[in-house]
Amino acid sequence: MIYLMELWESVRNFIATGGDVLWIVAAALFLMWVLMIERYWFLYVEFPRVRNAIVANWDARADTTSWYAHRIREAWISEAAEKLNARMLFIKTLVAICPLIGLLGTVTGMIAVFEIMAVQGTGNPRLMASGISMATVPTMAGMVAALSGVFFSSRLEAKVKVARESLIDSLPHH
Amino acid sequence: MRKVLVSISVAAAVLFTALPASANVASLDQLLKQVKQDRISERKLNKEREQEFLDERADKLSLLKKAKRAQAAEEARQVKLQKQFNANELALVEKETELENAKGTLGEMFGVVRQAAGDTVGRISTSIVSAQYKGRGELLSKLAEAKELPTLKELEDLWFALQTEMTESGKVVKFNAEVVELEGGSTEQTVTRVGTFNLLGEDKYLLFGSDTATVQPLGRQPDGYIVGAVSTFNQATAGFEPLYIDPSQGLILGLQTAKATITERYHQGGLVGYIITGVLALGFLIAIERFITLGLIGAKIRRQLKNTDAPNEGNPLGRILKVYQENKASDTENLELKLDEAVLRETPRIERGVAIIKILAAIAPLLGLLGTVTGMIKTFESITLFGTGDPKVMAGSISMALVTTAQGLIAALPLILVHSLVAARSKSIVQVLDEQSAGIVAAHAEQEKA
Repeated sequence: MIYLMELWESVRNFIATGGDVLWIVAAALFLMWVLMIERYWFLYVEFPRVRNAIVANWDARADTTSWYAHRIREAWISEAAEKLNARMLFIKTLVAICPLIGLLGTVTGMIAVFEIMAVQGTGNPRLMASGISMATVPTMAGMVAALSGVFFSSRLEAKVKVARESLIDSLPHH
Repeated sequence: MRKVLVSISVAAAVLFTALPASANVASLDQLLKQVKQDRISERKLNKEREQEFLDERADKLSLLKKAKRAQAAEEARQVKLQKQFNANELALVEKETELENAKGTLGEMFGVVRQAAGDTVGRISTSIVSAQYKGRGELLSKLAEAKELPTLKELEDLWFALQTEMTESGKVVKFNAEVVELEGGSTEQTVTRVGTFNLLGEDKYLLFGSDTATVQPLGRQPDGYIVGAVSTFNQATAGFEPLYIDPSQGLILGLQTAKATITERYHQGGLVGYIITGVLALGFLIAIERFITLGLIGAKIRRQLKNTDAPNEGNPLGRILKVYQENKASDTENLELKLDEAVLRETPRIERGVAIIKILAAIAPLLGLLGTVTGMIKTFESITLFGTGDPKVMAGSISMALVTTAQGLIAALPLILVHSLVAARSKSIVQVLDEQSAGIVAAHAEQEKA
């Protein structure tokens, strides 16, 4: 418990040095990872069941070569792909947005720096330091968030593609 | 000369009178006699006057002598005084050395006292302890500027002031003080002083203005969780409570008052900022309209999927199924073409507006960049007018330039997110129509056949 409190305290200090923009980065990062974990869960736990059901249905069909059979097969593949691709665009957007949020933090931090310059002049660099940390910390945080997402989201995308291809391969016309 | 004239005139008069009466000889004698007499009396008169001048000269000489005597006396006195002055001067030097000798090492001490008083006066007049103990600064500044030796009492006062500052800097105390409110007027409040760091009101931070020696609330308080600690700290009766203090003794808190509020910042963006707001609002309106329309279409399509027998004209899938119902008799190739045509008719209506949101999301940061550039132009204008000497003049328009950039980003981020949501939704509907409608038709046909 005390460890958690200390952790929370250090997180809050980090956010205090980085400014409020870090909350947005944190929210984006959290949402991104929740969605990605959900996607992994779907890929490894849910999708095999969906896939097996589709394959079983297909194998049970007598007619697999007519125009009707082709269209039905396509529709099933499309439905499965829709389930596979759900929220993938949103995840990719979140990954792309993270550096932008960091950039927003840079700009707001620079606003703080110039505000202090406008009031106090350039005499005291210590006063400007807080603004500069508010400018640099969110940039770093945004970068880290994006990097953590870029790798896994592209892996996820590849996996989704492979899953779709393998589903198509396992629905032969016999 | 006058006398000659007189005698001539007299003679003339005699002549004139004599001529007609030449017999009057007696009067001429008389005249002669008179002239003689006059000459005698005049000589006498001149003598008298000469005598008078001579007398006066003697007088003046005696006066001169007197003045000279006086001068000599004064000169003598001057010499005497000069001597005395020199003597006094010597005596003074002597006395001074005597004093120096008498002071001995104490002289050094008085120098230290003066220096200490000078150092302390700055610290103590700005220290928040002065909010509690008023009027300590005057005595110290008197001591620091004094030319003569400090008295024992003054020395004690300095010691007392230093000791008070030291002792009080380690204490957290509550005391009553007059707080000058920001909206005018003043109230008597219980003020908590934390060492020499912070003055706390009931639930806010206070500042001590050293110029006016008044306590006033901070114009803008720090973040909520920092201010929130104040009231919990004030309510604590025992144990330990966390509190945020300003180690710069009010400097950092003072900066808070200079910070612009969010609305002030927003208006710093100027015209470009308003345009960005317009772009954001437009994007959101389109997105909301799309969400509602796509949601309705999606719901209708799902309802239609459950009931493929009765196609409804009110939704895209229904219209496609209708095409199948009308072309049941035709062969599959023809049917596929007809279905594709129907799908092609539906897609633009579903994808409408999605691209506009994307464009608006791309425009917003560009507008922010525009604001940055105009702000920089203003900055350089002010540089050409005022030079680079004063960073404060430049900083104003630089912060304006940055504010528009921030606004552009703030507008772009939600628009990008919203676009991805809308795009995903419209894509899934189009996918249903494009890739699955033929399958739905096929499944339906198979059911009918079976």
